[in-house]
Amino acid sequence: MRKKILPYLLLSPMILIMGVLVFYPIIATFSYSLKKWKLTAPNDIHMVGLRNYAAILKSDSFWYSFQNTLFILAVVVLLTTVLGFLTSIFLNIDVKWSGILLAVAMLPWALPPYVNGILWKFVFSSGYGFMNKAVIGLGLAGKPIEWLSSRWSLLLIVSLVVTWRSIPFTALVCLAGRQSIPGGLYEAARIDGGNRRTIFRTITLPLMLPFLAIGITSTSVTAINVFDEIIALSGYSDLGKNILVESYMTTFSFLDFGKGSAVTYLVMLFAGILGIFYLRSLNKEVEY
Amino acid sequence: MKFSKKIGYFIALVIFLILTLGPFLWTFVLSITPEYAMMEKTTRLLPEVITYDNYRELLTSGTQKGSILITGIRNALKAVGATLLLGIPIAMMSAYALSRMEFKGRRLIKNLLLITMVIPVMATIIPLFRLFVARQWLDDVFWLSTVYVSSYLPMTTWLMSNYFATIPKELEEAAQIDGCGRLSSFLRIILPTSYPIILSAALIMFLNTWSQFQIPLILASSLETKPVAIVVSEFMTKDSVQYGLTAAAGMIAVLPPAITALIFRKFLISGMMGGAVKG
Repeated sequence: MRKKILPYLLLSPMILIMGVLVFYPIIATFSYSLKKWKLTAPNDIHMVGLRNYAAILKSDSFWYSFQNTLFILAVVVLLTTVLGFLTSIFLNIDVKWSGILLAVAMLPWALPPYVNGILWKFVFSSGYGFMNKAVIGLGLAGKPIEWLSSRWSLLLIVSLVVTWRSIPFTALVCLAGRQSIPGGLYEAARIDGGNRRTIFRTITLPLMLPFLAIGITSTSVTAINVFDEIIALSGYSDLGKNILVESYMTTFSFLDFGKGSAVTYLVMLFAGILGIFYLRSLNKEVEY
Repeated sequence: MKFSKKIGYFIALVIFLILTLGPFLWTFVLSITPEYAMMEKTTRLLPEVITYDNYRELLTSGTQKGSILITGIRNALKAVGATLLLGIPIAMMSAYALSRMEFKGRRLIKNLLLITMVIPVMATIIPLFRLFVARQWLDDVFWLSTVYVSSYLPMTTWLMSNYFATIPKELEEAAQIDGCGRLSSFLRIILPTSYPIILSAALIMFLNTWSQFQIPLILASSLETKPVAIVVSEFMTKDSVQYGLTAAAGMIAVLPPAITALIFRKFLISGMMGGAVKG
């Protein structure tokens, strides 16, 4: 009897924490999303069904932030995958200081995303920041450029900063993938007369695909959930907001808990679909 | 290496170092530039005069900004302590049960735990905010830390249970035949062989807690709970932004995690990878 209870006993603190702080709130958020509920009108809380969702899907503000989310997602996933793969090739070269380089490569991942955003804000600041000194010094522009004041330029910079933080993970996953390919395979290919390009196409790339899939899916989840960098680079302005910022502002600035919860649920749906691909790529075993 | 290859490697190295370390170097330059020199319309990168006043102001607790930053660092460290004390034992117990015991509902629990890995913070924060208001937990680092723990448990439990699963069952069985109970075989067999992964999990918890921004933005309302990243953000949004001071605060905020990452890089990499790549 004791043996049968033991696993549940061991799991009980985890189940308690996850139940109270994760699973209950997820369900509660859904029930909020079906209500008219503004903190500014605390006596007027009642069920409205799916009306919050309908209102959101009709609002320009939501589609504006949804576009921004898609833009960040596309740019970050593309750049992170290409640059992460290149970084892994670079880090795979065996030199005396390989260990140090690996540690340096990890830094952007290890540091607070908000502070990362601030560091890059200094690089792109509107007066005589680093970038403006560079473009004026090189004669590319006559006067300082307002990097962070127009929508697409701001979003591009947000995407670059998020890419900067996401590259280490993808690079390390690719590195692990690269190093797990048995050296014998390459030898055999070389004996068979394969040149470098065919070896890359027939051995390296297919065997690394599962690892690239882990990198791509994990990067997608990160890119949808960007929050800190946007706040660091543009404050709480509307210009660069994605759906996560939209959900935060609706809830905690306009104090509309009903609508805020509904926006949150739409984000979760979006992130969840990509998340399922991520979990599936994690569980895939690699076979040779 | 051939000469042409060496040149190529050298170019790649320079690009890599500039892109990775550039923002830190530039922020450091700003932090030692006098405030008046920052407005100068010049393309010169380095200031003519160097000042350490910003660091002096931030690191003496007598000044207003200094005491806010130091409190922020202390709050972040307190949260790190509470997170580790709570999170590591709970993750270990759960990972042990999930990887080395057979029981009903094991798959279900494992899957539910994995699913929460991809749920955004915003999906849980509104009811949590209400809970924190109702219980007056908004000024309490401990309850804030339990929310952090709930977001780390899926990842760290997964990490540890993957590792525990690679330890041969026979080792534990042999110990149990020799008269060890479950607890002492755990303490003598599992714990000593898996200290690297426990250290990895602890590092991940430390770095993530230090980085927290979105959760404390909503759940930490007072000076007594706000962590360092929030304090830096308030330097940035105050009416009169002092760039040099904010730059210095940013440098101070990245120093502890940067040093930790450099020292423990091996454990950190296995932590990052252990969750993503099996075995």
